[in-house]
Amino acid sequence: MNDGENSDPVSFEEYSIVAQGLQKSFGKLKVLSDLSVKIPRGTTYCLLGPNGSGKTTFIRAVAGLLRLDGGDLSVLGEPVSNVCRVYPRIGYMTQHKALYPDLTLQENMEFYAGLYGIEGARMSERISELLEMVDLADHSQRITGALSGGMYQRLSLACTLIHEPDLLLLDEPTVGVDPILREAFWRFFDDLAEKGSTILITTHLMDEAERCKIVGYMRAGRMLAEGSPEELKRLAGLQPILKLSVKEPEASATRLAAGGFDASVVEGELHVAIEEHRKLKEVLDLVEPLDLRLVEPTLGDAFLRLAEEVQR
Amino acid sequence: MMDLGFALNSKRVLVVARRVVRQLKRDRRTIGLITFAPIFLMILFGYALSGEMSGINLGIVDFGGQDDLTDHLASVDDFDLLRLGSESDAEKLIVEGRLHGAVVIRDNEVRILLDGSSPQITSSIMTEVKTGLLPKNGLRNGEMIGGEGESGGAVNVASLGHDGGIGGVGGHGILGSDVGIGRNDALGEYSAVEAQSPEIVQRYVYGYDLEMMDSVGPAVLGLVVFFFTFITAAISFLRERTQGSLEKFMVSPLSRPEMVAGYLLGFSLFALLQSATTFLVVVFVFGVPMNGNPITAFAVILLLGAGALVLGAFFSNFAKTEFQVVQFIPMVILPQVVLSGVWWPLESIPAFIRPISYILPLTYSSDALRAVMLKGAGISDILVPDLLFLAGFFVIVFGAATLMLKREVG
Repeated sequence: MNDGENSDPVSFEEYSIVAQGLQKSFGKLKVLSDLSVKIPRGTTYCLLGPNGSGKTTFIRAVAGLLRLDGGDLSVLGEPVSNVCRVYPRIGYMTQHKALYPDLTLQENMEFYAGLYGIEGARMSERISELLEMVDLADHSQRITGALSGGMYQRLSLACTLIHEPDLLLLDEPTVGVDPILREAFWRFFDDLAEKGSTILITTHLMDEAERCKIVGYMRAGRMLAEGSPEELKRLAGLQPILKLSVKEPEASATRLAAGGFDASVVEGELHVAIEEHRKLKEVLDLVEPLDLRLVEPTLGDAFLRLAEEVQR
Repeated sequence: MMDLGFALNSKRVLVVARRVVRQLKRDRRTIGLITFAPIFLMILFGYALSGEMSGINLGIVDFGGQDDLTDHLASVDDFDLLRLGSESDAEKLIVEGRLHGAVVIRDNEVRILLDGSSPQITSSIMTEVKTGLLPKNGLRNGEMIGGEGESGGAVNVASLGHDGGIGGVGGHGILGSDVGIGRNDALGEYSAVEAQSPEIVQRYVYGYDLEMMDSVGPAVLGLVVFFFTFITAAISFLRERTQGSLEKFMVSPLSRPEMVAGYLLGFSLFALLQSATTFLVVVFVFGVPMNGNPITAFAVILLLGAGALVLGAFFSNFAKTEFQVVQFIPMVILPQVVLSGVWWPLESIPAFIRPISYILPLTYSSDALRAVMLKGAGISDILVPDLLFLAGFFVIVFGAATLMLKREVG
C-alpha cells in the first residue's frame, strides 16, 4: 500500500478491500481512473453506476483477474499480487452462470464443493442447506440445462456460497430472480454480513442498492459518491416532497412561498419540499388539502441529481 | 497473480476428472463423435485403401505368341478388356480417355501403353502383365530373404531391384525379375522384353502380403484419435471460457495445471474407449496385423491423445467461438495429414519441408504404431525417438496450455 502523505493508516483487520488510486485502461479506453475505495469487513457494499462505469472491472481486479496499470489494492489483507492465497476465502459469482448444463443441480454443487475440499457429510449438509435457501431443493436431480433463467441464477449463487466465503464478489447476482426470492437473497446476504462476511455487489436495481449498508456510485472509472443510502440522498440535496391536491393551487403556492416554503405547481398539483417532517404541520396550517401524499426521494433520484451535477 | 502452482492436488484433479466424465456421459452426440465417428472413418479409409480396383479399361492388341499373358489378362476381374487391331487404335483410345492403358502382345515383345494418370492403375496393369509373363508355377512363396521395403514395405525380390518405382503403390508386390522395363515417351509407354526365366523367389519380411491398408492403417489409427481428441478438447476448453466457469476456477483453489490434468484424466477414459473401438475395426474388420503387444499400441495412442488434448486446450485460447475452433483443422490437422508419413514415406517429402515433419507428433506415433503392429516392436524398440518425442511434446504443450489459460480471461 502507498503510505502517501494524505493516506490514512489502514487496518487490514478492519477492511476486506482497500484500493488506492487504481488505474486500468483497455487500449485507449480508461476504465478505472484513480479509483480509491475501502470496504469494511462484515458489510454489504453496493457498486452502482451506469454501464461502462468500471464496476465489473473493479470486481475483476479484486478477484485478481486483471493486471492493474497502477495503484494499490489489497484483498483480505493480501496484496492483489498474492490474492490466490486467499482464494479459498473468496466466493465469486460472475455475470455468466458458470454452471455445467449437462450435470444435475446436485452434481454441479458437488463439483464446486470438491474444488474447495468439502466432502462427505459436510458436503451433503451444505448442499441441502443451500438448495433449500435458493428454493431448488426439489429439483436437485434435474439436469441443469433444463432450468429457467432465474433457477440458473439461484443455483449459481448456491455454488458460489458452498464454501462459506469471507468475501463474496457478486456481479449482478439477482438478474432474473423474482422479487420474492430476491427478498430471500437479501435476507441471506444481511445474515452473512452480520456473521462477518463482506459482500461486494454490483447491481442496476436501486431498491437493491438501498438495502446495502454502503453504496458507492461509480462513473467513468471514478468513485463519485459513497455512503449509506440516506447519506447519499442528503448529499444530492434531495428532500421529501409533499404533494397536495387543493382547490386553488396557484394561490396556495404563493401563500406557502410567502411562508418560506419551496412550493410549486406541477400539472395542477401543489408540490412542497419538506426539509424536516415536523414542518408538515406548518404546511397544513396554510392550505386546505383535498388529498395529500408524502413522497420520499429515492436513491435513483439521488443518482440522477448527482449525474446531472457531474454533467454540469 | 501468475502462480502456476505446479504442485498438483490429486483430490482436486479427481474432482475435475469426475465432472468431465459425468458431463461426457450425458453428451450423447460427443460420445457418438468419440466412438462411432472414428469407426465410420476407419471403415471408409479401410475400403478406400484396400488396394483393390475394378473397372480398369484395358485394350489388348494381340499378335500372338504370349497365350499365357492373354489368358491371364482375360481372367483378371478388375479389367474390362477391349480387343483392338492395332497399336495406333489403342493409343488413340487412350488419348481420348476411353482406355486406361493397352497391352500390345507380340511373340518377342510386349508393349504396354499407359495414360499414366493414376499410379495405382499403372501399378495394377504392370503387375498383372508381369504376372501373366511369369512361367506357370514359377511364383512361390519361398524362404525369407532380403530386407524391408519402403512403405512398411514387405516386398523384396531376389536378383532384381526396383523397376523404376512402378509396382510399389498397389503393394501386391510382385515384381517380375524377368522383365526389363523402360519408359519411352510422354504418353507413358513401356516395353517389356522377355528375358530368361529364372526362378522367382518372393518373400514377405513380416510374413504376409501388405496391402495399403496394412501399411497405412496403424498410422491412420493415430490420426483419427488425434483429430477427434484435439477438436473435442478445444471445444470443451472454449466452453469453459465462454460459460464463465474458467473465470470462476481462476478465483478458486483449483490451479491451472490441476484443471488441465483433471481434463486429461477424464478424457483418457474416453480416449481409451475411442482407441479400443477404432483399434478393433482396424485389426478385425480390415485384418491389419497386430504382431506386437496391443497394450503397447494403446500406450502410444494414449500418449498421442494426451498430446492432442493439451494441444486442443492450448489452441482454444485463440478461438472465441466453436466455429473458430473448426478453423484450426486446416492449420493443425492438415499439415499432419500431409507431412507426417501417414500416407506416404517421409522420404518422399521434399527435404526442405521435412524438418516440419520431424516436429509433428503424428510422425512419431505413425512410426511407433507401425513398428508395434506390423513388426511386433516392444516398448524399448520405440522408446527413442518415438515415445520420447511424444512424451516431450505432451510436457511442453501441457506447460504452454497451462500458461495460456490466462487469469486475464475476459
